[in-house]
Amino acid sequence: MSNPTSINQPEQCGLSRRDFLKLSAATAGSAAVLGAIPIAQKLLAAAEHAPAYALADPANQINTVCLQCNTGCGIKVKMLDGVAAKIDGNPYSPWTLAPHLDYNLPITQTAKVEGALCPKGQAGLQTAYDPYRIMRVLKRKKGTKRGAGQWETISFEQAIEEVVNGGDLFGEGHVDGFKDVYALRDGEVFAKMGAAVKAIWAEKDAAKKQALVEAFKQEFADHLEAMIDPDHPDLGPKNNQFAFVWGRMKKGREDLVHRFMQESFGSINMNGHTTVCQGSLYFTGRAMSAKWNPATGTFDSGDKFYWQGDVAHSEFVIFVGANMFESNYGPPLRVPQITQGVVNRGMKYAVLDPRLSKAAAKAWRWVPVKPGEDGAFAMGMIRWILEHERYNAAYLAIANKAAADAAGEPNYSNVTWLVKIRDGVPGKLLRASEVGLVTAVATTDAEGKAITVYETADGTRFASDVPVVLVDGKPTPIDPVAADAAPIRGDLFVDQTLEGIAVKSGLQLVKESAETHTIAEWAEIAGAREADILVLAQEFTAHGRKAVADLHRGASQHTNGFYTILAWYTLNLLIGNFDYVGGMVKATTYNRMGTKKGQPFDVAKMTNGNNIAFGLDALRTKVAYEKTTLLNGYPTKRPWFPLATDVYQEDVPSFGDGYPYPIKILMAYMSALAYALPAAHKVIEILADPKKIPLIITSDIMVGETSTYADYIFPDLTYLERWELHGSHPSVAYKVENVRQPAISLPGWPTTKVFGEEIPVCFEAVFLTIAEKLNLPAFGPDGFGRGIPFTRPEDFYLKQVANIAFGEKEDGSDAVPEADDTEVTLFRQARRFLPKTVYDYDRWRQAVGDESLWRRVIYVLNRGGRYQSRTQAFKGAKVANAYGRLINLYQEKTATSINTITGKPYIGYPVYVPPGLAADGQPVRDEGYDLTLLTYKEITMAKARGIADYWLLAVLPENFILMNASDAARLGLKTDDRVKITSASNPDGVWDLQNGTKKPMIGKVRVVEGIRPGVISFPLGWGHYASGAQDITIDGQNIQGDPRRATGIHANAAMRVDPVIGNVTLSDLAGGSAVFYDSKVKVEKV
Amino acid sequence: MTQSEEQKERSYSSTRRDFLRALLGVGGAAAALASMDRLMANPEAILEAINRATGDQATAVADFPFALDPTDPPDVLLRMQIELHRALQKRPEERRWVMVIDLRKCVGCHACTIACVAENRLPPGVVYRPVLEQEVGTFPNVTRTFLPKPCMQCDNPPCVPVCPVTATYTNEEGVVVVDYDQCIGCRACMTACPYASRTFDFGIQYVDNTPMGNGTLLGQSGVAPMELLPVFEYGRSRERVPHHSPIGNVRKCHFCLHRIKEGMLPACTLTCIGRATLFGDANDPESLVAEMIASPNVMRLKEELGTEPRVYYLV
Repeated sequence: MSNPTSINQPEQCGLSRRDFLKLSAATAGSAAVLGAIPIAQKLLAAAEHAPAYALADPANQINTVCLQCNTGCGIKVKMLDGVAAKIDGNPYSPWTLAPHLDYNLPITQTAKVEGALCPKGQAGLQTAYDPYRIMRVLKRKKGTKRGAGQWETISFEQAIEEVVNGGDLFGEGHVDGFKDVYALRDGEVFAKMGAAVKAIWAEKDAAKKQALVEAFKQEFADHLEAMIDPDHPDLGPKNNQFAFVWGRMKKGREDLVHRFMQESFGSINMNGHTTVCQGSLYFTGRAMSAKWNPATGTFDSGDKFYWQGDVAHSEFVIFVGANMFESNYGPPLRVPQITQGVVNRGMKYAVLDPRLSKAAAKAWRWVPVKPGEDGAFAMGMIRWILEHERYNAAYLAIANKAAADAAGEPNYSNVTWLVKIRDGVPGKLLRASEVGLVTAVATTDAEGKAITVYETADGTRFASDVPVVLVDGKPTPIDPVAADAAPIRGDLFVDQTLEGIAVKSGLQLVKESAETHTIAEWAEIAGAREADILVLAQEFTAHGRKAVADLHRGASQHTNGFYTILAWYTLNLLIGNFDYVGGMVKATTYNRMGTKKGQPFDVAKMTNGNNIAFGLDALRTKVAYEKTTLLNGYPTKRPWFPLATDVYQEDVPSFGDGYPYPIKILMAYMSALAYALPAAHKVIEILADPKKIPLIITSDIMVGETSTYADYIFPDLTYLERWELHGSHPSVAYKVENVRQPAISLPGWPTTKVFGEEIPVCFEAVFLTIAEKLNLPAFGPDGFGRGIPFTRPEDFYLKQVANIAFGEKEDGSDAVPEADDTEVTLFRQARRFLPKTVYDYDRWRQAVGDESLWRRVIYVLNRGGRYQSRTQAFKGAKVANAYGRLINLYQEKTATSINTITGKPYIGYPVYVPPGLAADGQPVRDEGYDLTLLTYKEITMAKARGIADYWLLAVLPENFILMNASDAARLGLKTDDRVKITSASNPDGVWDLQNGTKKPMIGKVRVVEGIRPGVISFPLGWGHYASGAQDITIDGQNIQGDPRRATGIHANAAMRVDPVIGNVTLSDLAGGSAVFYDSKVKVEKV
Repeated sequence: MTQSEEQKERSYSSTRRDFLRALLGVGGAAAALASMDRLMANPEAILEAINRATGDQATAVADFPFALDPTDPPDVLLRMQIELHRALQKRPEERRWVMVIDLRKCVGCHACTIACVAENRLPPGVVYRPVLEQEVGTFPNVTRTFLPKPCMQCDNPPCVPVCPVTATYTNEEGVVVVDYDQCIGCRACMTACPYASRTFDFGIQYVDNTPMGNGTLLGQSGVAPMELLPVFEYGRSRERVPHHSPIGNVRKCHFCLHRIKEGMLPACTLTCIGRATLFGDANDPESLVAEMIASPNVMRLKEELGTEPRVYYLV
């Protein structure tokens, strides 16, 4: 780092605003004769005291993207002399204006047009300008323990030296650095070993598998010391012992990390935080979108995504566990769709939520469902809809793509496909050869290779053994995906035996699931009235395809999340609303990686070499246990996750247990592991112990909760100062990409030199500098190939923006226009206060190269992203950016994946599963703990980092524990009484910070009617023990905490620790969710 | 980039001039002055001065800069902004600014509260636009209501006659304003207002009592550039420094007159995510607000006091 006191700032930064205005006046002009006109004199005098409303000047505006929550609203940052003064909505973005502005409107005409933004978004100024932001690297003081809050500043360069080289960094003995963990360094060996491990996993025979392991050891005898365990080569190289864990990271930065971790440093372990948000929603989506592979006759993995409702056009919506007005994705986008829908269009909506959310308060019906029993409610609705034949039979019968095309349907499902039932248990899908519909024929392909095809009696050939449906009772093979195949419409309900094989259709299985209880019983389980189920089912099926059930984390963050989501998605499927306007839609973004033909930068392929990571990931998500060399019966020490990835709650406990292997370096980014996770006190126990994870580094904007347990904290830029590609969200039917870019730079922000370039100290600087020290491929002067440097963050991001600007047509016809001279000038003027280390026009242009393409990049940057028009996104009753393929109601892959704790397969179709089960599937019974603890979000608080926004704290300075009046009366409590929350796994009701402090979970009660009796809930984001809430010491100087940042309660440590696994929250082993809502607690007045 | 280009780039006056020249071109009186470059450095203020002299803001805002697709109904935010531009073509006394708050659409998000704080740089304790919340009913028949409560901009304002120095008055557009230079901070108006719409600026800052900057932490000094940005209220830039207005003044909602003048909606209206807050000229029969205040479900707060509020509620 350059001298820490040296300041990188534009010349004008030293000037006052008034000086600046004078300067502007001077440069503006020729010598005007003024004194001759008395009125003008007077006017000038007035003018000097009343400068213009400079915020409306396009030269003072940069359109970028919010990150106060994950919604990613387009924002317009309005500046005064380079200081962010006001943030409003970017009117080009569909997030804040509906319909959004015509993308081609010049920015000169839109400077005074703004979209609406939520309070958090507007308070983002205080996230950037936060007194507690760190500007220098902090190192844990030698001789003090993790969590002690004793820090020493250290130069960025020195810090990198230390984490790269390791050594006795804290007086606690030797710590391995990156150079030690970067054990395997040969790209060719990486590739060969990766292939060999794949072959080991593909081998089904145990003896042959062992033989492959021995062969591996022989072939790579020279490199075995680089392996974690040569006897288990599938654990991969020691490089995997560097784990990168992130909380809030979007594309762009994620792509950069992917390049570093998986293509350069060679570690498989980069894990996001999906499962702390709405994991089971994502992974049910992934299971339902599994792709039929016509060549193999099996399913390839689906997409990690989910659907949401296009509620802007719905006539009826059921929100399930979706907090529409206070959080979700997100208020500026979805609130006006609902409020205007209800008042202007007569839309109706119902809300299932134990708490009377603000949305529930305005709903047509509020169903205060029992926590975790949303699935039972869905089963009741499914039963009623099936019994009354209120489903879309014509759509459901469509069994393959050819039939969907013929019917003009955008997609199709497998509800008619036959499933084999063995001993009453549904397993694999029936294949045509098993009932003699096809026979295997040996032949050769076009290249003369021997292959097997499957042929029917009439000569129809399939590349693989295909599924079967009944057509008017007749077994019929189907080609699921070929457009030119025979269109097949199957019988919906099938329960019979074919050639001695018991089979049922998927829809039959759903029917049987729903029939396990009467509707009255389902209502009873759900804690609802039977009438609620009947009325909602009736209404849901009374609007054609313009009804939708929109789901979120309230439904998914239970131990049964996967099956609850599946049941509700099934309801949507029954009315066939996928890809329909007002129905279920999905996110669509422009291709940023440049993988489409003709796109300017195939970013991943542009490299001077690589080390492609391989091996088992530390969370055990990317390969089935049974395929690995670790297979040794059930239960496993910790669960494996065959259906989920990024199982956030498993990161630290897995590293703590060293299962499946120890982690030597953990880097956490924007990751409130030690705060946001349920049962996070167990996380703290592990983080605080250097023997469990020897080196922890974080990238943070302040000393946050996770950083409190770090060895080194590297300061990062906030979202207003940096790059990222925010992508889209499921309810946005438009094709978009939101481009986050530097809008401001803080005076005095430190810089560092890497690859000879001066760049701000930030997240990217950490990776670039480590890459330089270790001479990693894919970074540096030839990082993108000979002579194409990757030495600055924007070298990467601008190439991605160029891909977005170019679009996806080879002939360039999908490109945005070139910015004209006026727009180029404004682009430069708006950035005139950014230091050269952040923005250098010529250097930016070089990163793109071609002048025409560069002008298109400017066009995108001037608009804060790229946004498709309304007319392009909706085609009559259907959406243009359709999902458009097979929807798996029955999931063969799920049904054949094993729960490694119980040793039994998962269920592959919608069933009712009760909430609150431990990892072994047994109910957790916490006698004496009589209240269910829930959480929610207030709109004025972002989960882990909102505490810095004082404007918002002024609205709601402290949180509280919502409690129904009947419970309060029973417990003798009234509003503002202070209570302590305890649970069976935290009977003392404390956060043990492992530094001698035990912070009790005490908060104030707020007695309300609007919550289900027996349930309490608190809004997240308060009750901090770091992030400026407590005193810390830096270089021996006490930095006082701010009592405003310490108010309220954070009761996540009362959430149930899984009694089987012991050091982690309850989890949904199928969908991966960390469980927030299945804990029983007690409150005691203090 | 050469040094001179860099200089040019950093000075935004040239494009600003073009931009403002275009604006000026609309108004006849201003056009006469348009050749004077020195004035051009800050013509909006000049316009304001002209307006003050002539009592006419009609020249301040050009026509709305672009046309909308007539087949695609615009966001009400755009519709209202276009109507605002139309109203600004009239003489101030010919327009009647009103606000309509549709409580059915208010979701209690406080975006308006914060937008107002951010736009007007309100310190702790000064709030122009609170949102009140109430729970009504008994489980499970229960709801929550939200009530944004700006200054009612009464046609018969009880706060005005009590001011001993006539610092607060109804301007020619019907908005109750405070002349900070006249206000002596006696707070009589605060007591007189039946809606509690006025608060006092005690001169505190949100970052008071946080660490000072020391090169390691950003600190108060690092935050100061944002925290101490000038206030633009009433179309005049004021640095908020001790012993100077608006510190020591009573402050209140003014419908963001400084934004209106620019053809922009009040901050609370612009940022209403529920699209519950509507603003416009009730004298324009084609305006959204004129349409809405004729609804059968319209009401005003404390009508019995005879204050004649210009803020209407739809319930």
